[in-house]
Amino acid sequence: MTNSKIIETNNLSFSFKKGSKTLDNVNMSVTAGSIYGFLGPNGAGKTTTLRLLIGLLRNQHGSIKLFGQEFYQHRLEVLKKTGSLIEQPSLYQHLTAKENLEVYRGIYDCEKKRIGEVLELVDLNKTGSKKTKQFSLGMKQRLSIAVALLHNPELLILDEPTNGLDPNGIIETRELLKKMNRENGTTILVSSHLLPEVEKMASHVGIIHQGKLLFQGSLPELQLLKKKQTILEIETNDLPRTMDILKSKFEIQHSANIVLIPFKDNATNAAINKMLVEQGIDVYSIHSRHSDLEQLFMDITANNI
Amino acid sequence: MNFITSTRAELLKTKRSAAFWLSVLGALFIPAIFFLMYYFKPEVFIPMLKEDPWRIHFIRGWQSLSAFLLPMFIILICSLIPQIEFKNNTWKQVFASPQSYGNIFFSKFLTIHLMILFCFLLFTLFMIFSALLVNLFNNKFSFSDNSIDFAALFKLIFKTYVSILGISAIQYWLSLRFKNFIAPIGIGLGFLITSLIIMQWEHIFKVPYAFPILTLSSAMNNAGKWLENHELNSIGYFVVFTFIAFLDLKFRKEKG
Repeated sequence: MTNSKIIETNNLSFSFKKGSKTLDNVNMSVTAGSIYGFLGPNGAGKTTTLRLLIGLLRNQHGSIKLFGQEFYQHRLEVLKKTGSLIEQPSLYQHLTAKENLEVYRGIYDCEKKRIGEVLELVDLNKTGSKKTKQFSLGMKQRLSIAVALLHNPELLILDEPTNGLDPNGIIETRELLKKMNRENGTTILVSSHLLPEVEKMASHVGIIHQGKLLFQGSLPELQLLKKKQTILEIETNDLPRTMDILKSKFEIQHSANIVLIPFKDNATNAAINKMLVEQGIDVYSIHSRHSDLEQLFMDITANNI
Repeated sequence: MNFITSTRAELLKTKRSAAFWLSVLGALFIPAIFFLMYYFKPEVFIPMLKEDPWRIHFIRGWQSLSAFLLPMFIILICSLIPQIEFKNNTWKQVFASPQSYGNIFFSKFLTIHLMILFCFLLFTLFMIFSALLVNLFNNKFSFSDNSIDFAALFKLIFKTYVSILGISAIQYWLSLRFKNFIAPIGIGLGFLITSLIIMQWEHIFKVPYAFPILTLSSAMNNAGKWLENHELNSIGYFVVFTFIAFLDLKFRKEKG
């Protein structure tokens, strides 16, 4: 199965209201055996994408393939191999942990002993006759993960699974997912609005912002990209000469009457300024501009816990 | 097989739920009141129940039930079972599990009907039990000297069940539509009260919320027919609204 695509969307678009696109031509591609961190600020379209993938929203435009099969034609087959947790825990509050799993055990056709196994896995095997409504948010979240893991799915789709967990719970969940991935080869698609969280567990990353998939690639590719993103804008009275002066030393581009070069550091900015002034050019402004992606990283990292 | 699995899951969800307790308490309510009435006012009820005590006992029991409590119970149970999913935010998990839309829809609907039949069964047992119990305290009652006409009782229950089929489908649809449980209950209650007001209307046999009362009056008249016109209408409403509700669920844009 290596290198085959477990999830593939093709020009996936979706709008809740006419005129405003929640998702805009998303081409997502998740390789078998990977942990795909789906990153984006709140409201970027993460949950919408995940809901589309498991059929909770009716697809409007584009195609969705899971396990290489068109989702809508093979809904049941695909769902049998998929475990999911979308948004807040979905549990029957009047039932115990065991009973909650029992509800799904038959549907997924699992053996009885599997319930004990997953409860132990998420450390809820001692809750006995305690009703789920008496659980803490962290316990509820862990039980929801247990529901998703019950049938040992080949694909796990988790929407912000560490939401509401304490730091310890976050680490445990992360380790659990890594272990699932390592030992069972489970492909995991996990969304988050926290870049550091994704960096700690994902092998691949997709970044979504305002419904558009801005970046998709491996974790090292992402880290490479992060460094390159800031650009220096230089505005002067003489564009051609400015370019002449700078082109020997820098990779330059220009747009309208502005020269763009990759940002390095403040000392370089000062040196550029000096060089231009000494050549008799009037420098109107020099400032570094974050690209959209960089701004996005700022947003994501600013939400650090 | 899959359908049985889905239904089994649905039944598990009703464990300790409000729907379960409503069925038990709903069934207990009238027999308990009857017991108290018979026990404290034997001078009124012994003569009343002198001839054919079981028949009168059951007719009076179903009469108290059918006019208002039974349709109300149907409205509530049809709302409470889908509410289990709304309240717990579990629709999404249900729709993300490998069950066909048909299984999801019909297993829940079957669960509602099993709850209704469970309530009918309990009601009948509690009615028998309350009569026997009062007879134990006061042997002037003649329940123990008479036998129950189970065939007639079964017919009454069967006809009552048929009479609520239409309401159940309409209410199930409404309850799947609205996340807020007040909406289907309010609408159902509105229909029910309207039906009670227009009871004299010559087209009342077309108004589903009036069917339980119509069934009861026809049963009392000993008309003998297994299915009256309004009961056939009830089956018609049931088929049409079940179909509408299923299509509505299947083709809904947002699920869960």
